[in-house]
Amino acid sequence: MRAQLMRRTLLSLVLGLLFLSTPAMGSCLDNYQELLGQLQKQADFMQHTSMLLDPYISIQGLDKDGLKEHCQERPGVFPSKDVLQRLSRQEFLQILNTTLGHVLHRLRTLQKDILKAQDLEKLNIAKLNIRGFKNNIHCMAQLLPGSLEKTEPTPTGPGASPSPTPISDAFQRRLEGCRFLHGYHRFMHSVGQVFREWGQSLSRSRRHSPRRGLRKGKHRTHLSSRNKRLMPRGWLPR
Amino acid sequence: MLLKMILKCKNTPGELLEPCGHIKPESPVVQLGSNFTAVCVLKEKCMDYFHVNANYIFWKTNHVTVPKEQYTVINRTASSVTFTDISLLNIQLTCNIRTFGQIDQNVYGIRIISGLPPEKPKNLSCIVNEGKKMMCQWDPGRETYLETNFTLKSEWATEKFADCKTKRDIPTSCTVDYSPVYFVNIEVWVEAENALGKVTSDHINFDPVDKVKPNPPHNLSVSNSEELSSILKLTWINSSIQSFIRLKYNIQYRTRDASIWSQIPPEDTASSRTSFTVQDLKPFTEYVFRVRCMKEDGKGFWSDWSEEASGITYEDRPSKAPSFWYKIEPSHTHGYRSVQLIWKTLPPFEANGKILDYEVTLIRWKSRLQNYTVNDTKWTVNLTNDRYIATLTARNLVGKSDAAVLTIPAYNFQATRPVTDLKAFPKDNMLWVEWTAPNESVNKYILEWCVLSDKSPCIPDWQQEDGTVHRTFLRGNLAESKCYLITVTPVYTDGPGSPESIKAYLKQAPPSKGPTVRTKKVGKNEAVLEWDQLPVDVQNGFIRNYTIFYRTIIGNETAVNVDSSHTEYTLSSLTSDTLYMVRMAAYTDEGGKDGPEFTFTTPKFAQGEIEAIVVPVCLAFLLTTLLGVLFCFNKRDLIKKHIWPNVPDPSKSHIAQWSPHTPPRHNFNSKDQIYSDGNFTDVSVVEIEAANDKKPFPEDLKSLDLFKKEKISTEGHSSGIGGSSCMSSSRPSISSSDENESAQNTSGTVQYSTVVHSGYRHQVPSVQVFSRSESTQPLLDSEERPEDLQLVDNTDSSVGNLPRQQYFKQNCSQRETSPDISHFERSKQVSSVNEEDFVRLKQQISDISQSCGSGQMKMFQEISVADAFGLHTEGQVERFETVGTEAAVDEGMSKSYLPQTVRRGGYMPQ
Repeated sequence: MRAQLMRRTLLSLVLGLLFLSTPAMGSCLDNYQELLGQLQKQADFMQHTSMLLDPYISIQGLDKDGLKEHCQERPGVFPSKDVLQRLSRQEFLQILNTTLGHVLHRLRTLQKDILKAQDLEKLNIAKLNIRGFKNNIHCMAQLLPGSLEKTEPTPTGPGASPSPTPISDAFQRRLEGCRFLHGYHRFMHSVGQVFREWGQSLSRSRRHSPRRGLRKGKHRTHLSSRNKRLMPRGWLPR
Repeated sequence: MLLKMILKCKNTPGELLEPCGHIKPESPVVQLGSNFTAVCVLKEKCMDYFHVNANYIFWKTNHVTVPKEQYTVINRTASSVTFTDISLLNIQLTCNIRTFGQIDQNVYGIRIISGLPPEKPKNLSCIVNEGKKMMCQWDPGRETYLETNFTLKSEWATEKFADCKTKRDIPTSCTVDYSPVYFVNIEVWVEAENALGKVTSDHINFDPVDKVKPNPPHNLSVSNSEELSSILKLTWINSSIQSFIRLKYNIQYRTRDASIWSQIPPEDTASSRTSFTVQDLKPFTEYVFRVRCMKEDGKGFWSDWSEEASGITYEDRPSKAPSFWYKIEPSHTHGYRSVQLIWKTLPPFEANGKILDYEVTLIRWKSRLQNYTVNDTKWTVNLTNDRYIATLTARNLVGKSDAAVLTIPAYNFQATRPVTDLKAFPKDNMLWVEWTAPNESVNKYILEWCVLSDKSPCIPDWQQEDGTVHRTFLRGNLAESKCYLITVTPVYTDGPGSPESIKAYLKQAPPSKGPTVRTKKVGKNEAVLEWDQLPVDVQNGFIRNYTIFYRTIIGNETAVNVDSSHTEYTLSSLTSDTLYMVRMAAYTDEGGKDGPEFTFTTPKFAQGEIEAIVVPVCLAFLLTTLLGVLFCFNKRDLIKKHIWPNVPDPSKSHIAQWSPHTPPRHNFNSKDQIYSDGNFTDVSVVEIEAANDKKPFPEDLKSLDLFKKEKISTEGHSSGIGGSSCMSSSRPSISSSDENESAQNTSGTVQYSTVVHSGYRHQVPSVQVFSRSESTQPLLDSEERPEDLQLVDNTDSSVGNLPRQQYFKQNCSQRETSPDISHFERSKQVSSVNEEDFVRLKQQISDISQSCGSGQMKMFQEISVADAFGLHTEGQVERFETVGTEAAVDEGMSKSYLPQTVRRGGYMPQ
């Protein structure tokens, strides 16, 4: 019990450091449902391979027969849908935020191999969208109740594996980039489903729905018991 | 620009010039309307050099010295100046000192800039054009007169974006340099800043996706359906924004020739889609479509309209029978009529497709059906005089229209039952026709119309209306200012009714020509004007009235309105003998037009006035003349006696037998006494006249004087030879002729004078003596035969050589009737005259003839005859008797004047 309390204290501390330490800038959307809808829609369009993977395959010349089959997600790089569904909302947001941070980092690495300005523009738009997604995660975290009260430990490491070890082979590096982006889109698809479940659970249990018009830090929404039960209980399976 | 007027403090070579002081603040920017204080601080070196202090400072603004009341000497080195309510935008302020009491030196100068702080930007709004970056705009507020920077700031909750600096020329909008991130709220505001302050607009927080203006749908296409002629299906491709948001649409359509768009109800297009089927369209009609979209929830902006796309609905059978009518034309074949069946092409909305042909059927009374296929819209056929029923159908690819039925009546059909109250009027640039339907059921109405013109024939156009219609407009291509003759014919089941016609104008205009007026009749005080009706081609409308303008040259114009039905008018109360100018204007509802001016002059007299004056005058003159003539005729003898007194014919005279007992003639004019005895027919007067200057014998003179007195007393009755005025001259003369007595001479005798050359009692008379006698004897032919005069002259010359020139002069103008005596007889009588006398007399005659002519010679002949003739008529004898009576009046003159008694047939010389 004491250890559990300790873990919650640590999680709260991490979230506090993660979100609240952010300097006060633009205000977040204080409507939970709207914000959730934004997250769903962001996840929906970010899962489209046309946002990143397809241009990348085309840019890297991987759009040839026999090569696409090798562009498959490497397991363990991104959390699976099941894992994500088992996470608590705070943990989910934390994992999501961390993973997207890693994606941004990886995109910066991939950016080095893109020479065309047009392609770079697409990549920058994708990066900007991810940053926007992270902004909404931050705002959602502001709306979630008891962020600082959670006692369960949350994984501090990202869902996505750390930056891979440098690969000298250029083809292998492109292929790894392709596999990464493939996993990214799949991950965003899973994220979208999770957020959709959030919305469905909200409609099923209105009594737990957050009140409209909550101001940042003043009002908090109350999560349903189901969502509490869906909180992750351990590390993400690999 | 900061103007620094420096003062040379040190003139050491090689050193920089330093100002002798400075002004604080250095570069002030002052708000308009506020107060401002500047301080000038002098340097000690300058003060010592020029021996001045702060009291020597004076200020100038824009080269004008500031009043000292605004100065404040702070200490020995500093002086300030204060300005209240700064109103100028740019002020040049200088600090000066007066050195050595007279030299003004500029110490330092600054420029004061005035303006206003920026106002808070308002109405900040942003738009995200799909595929482009976000652009925001705002109202900058009032003019600041200063350089003001506007900065668009934006940030998320977790990060800030780079500021968006406005361009100098567009300070009211700014486009950020990052791509919009949808579904992430962003906070945006504007900062306005200038030298007088900084102000921030209200922050707006929005999701950029709610500010999206999508690109319009593209690749719009239209397709029809053979199964349904009333639908068209639209398909399009949405913009890429559809991957982020759901869209709703506006779909508009119109027919090809229409200008107004119809719109599909928005609720039918409120969701994302890529196609739509438009229903309730007309068959075989081309429609044009366009589409636009926006975010489904209505946030954001509508896209621009897509490119237009068109499609034609599929054909359907003609929805209506064609308008059907006929014309009957004379036929050369006896018993037949040439009937032209005419019909109108169906409008597209009724044809519902391309009309391939028309099917005409003719049914004669109790005969079989005849079918004809016609491609044209008219068909001429020879029909008998029987009644026919014609039907017409139009056919297209899908089917046939309903049949239009028309009854062509028999030849002797009498049309009746016309429409009533037919009216035609323009309205909304259309010519409307209205009528009252007959009591019976009418199948349809046929409206025919044509332009009435004097130049071209009436070519009718026509249209058909349903039997329920009582008012319609003519659907032809009508022109303004044209007179249309409109005929409405009701069509019954058994044939057409009586047509009714009316004239109308689509739009009237003033006549293009005015009427030409002329005079029909001009009187002294009135004039009848006449004119012709304007031709219909120049009327341009219904002539409502005429106006006649007339005036004299100096008078005012008078206008008279005349009804349009008239063609003449009488101007009355005109002034006689005056030139009038008259013109005429014809008016329609839209105005009038003047005709040419016409002039006429009223006469001085009215008709018949001259006749009324002249005829009576002439009649009076004629009457007077006639009366005069009658009077003269009645008094012709009296007049004759006055003008042509009777001269006795010497040849018929005789010497009156003197009787001493004859009572003296007291009443010389008493004819009764003279003619009472019946012995005298005339009286001859013997005139004795002195022929020369020789003094006559006293007794002769005495008797002559007495006679003269008598003569004077009876003047008017006396007469000399020829009875001329010469005889009534002042020349002493004796005349014994009596006019009254002469008038009694019914034989028309001619008076003659008898000249007595012989002296009394064998004495040679000193004066020429002549006597006059009355005689019916015509004058001697010697008057017309001067050669005979020589003989007479000879005769005279035998009487004596007395001078006779005076006598002839006195009678030079006298003219008398020639005596009717033969030349031969006279020549014999003068044969005894001696030669000497003849030569002398001839000489005298020659002298006289040069001045007198034949008249004188005539007189000479008379004298000669009186001397020469010895034979006398009875009348002549009587005249001589009278002479003897006269001679006996003066008994005292017996010595000088002896009465001669002339007996019948003899003459006795005294």
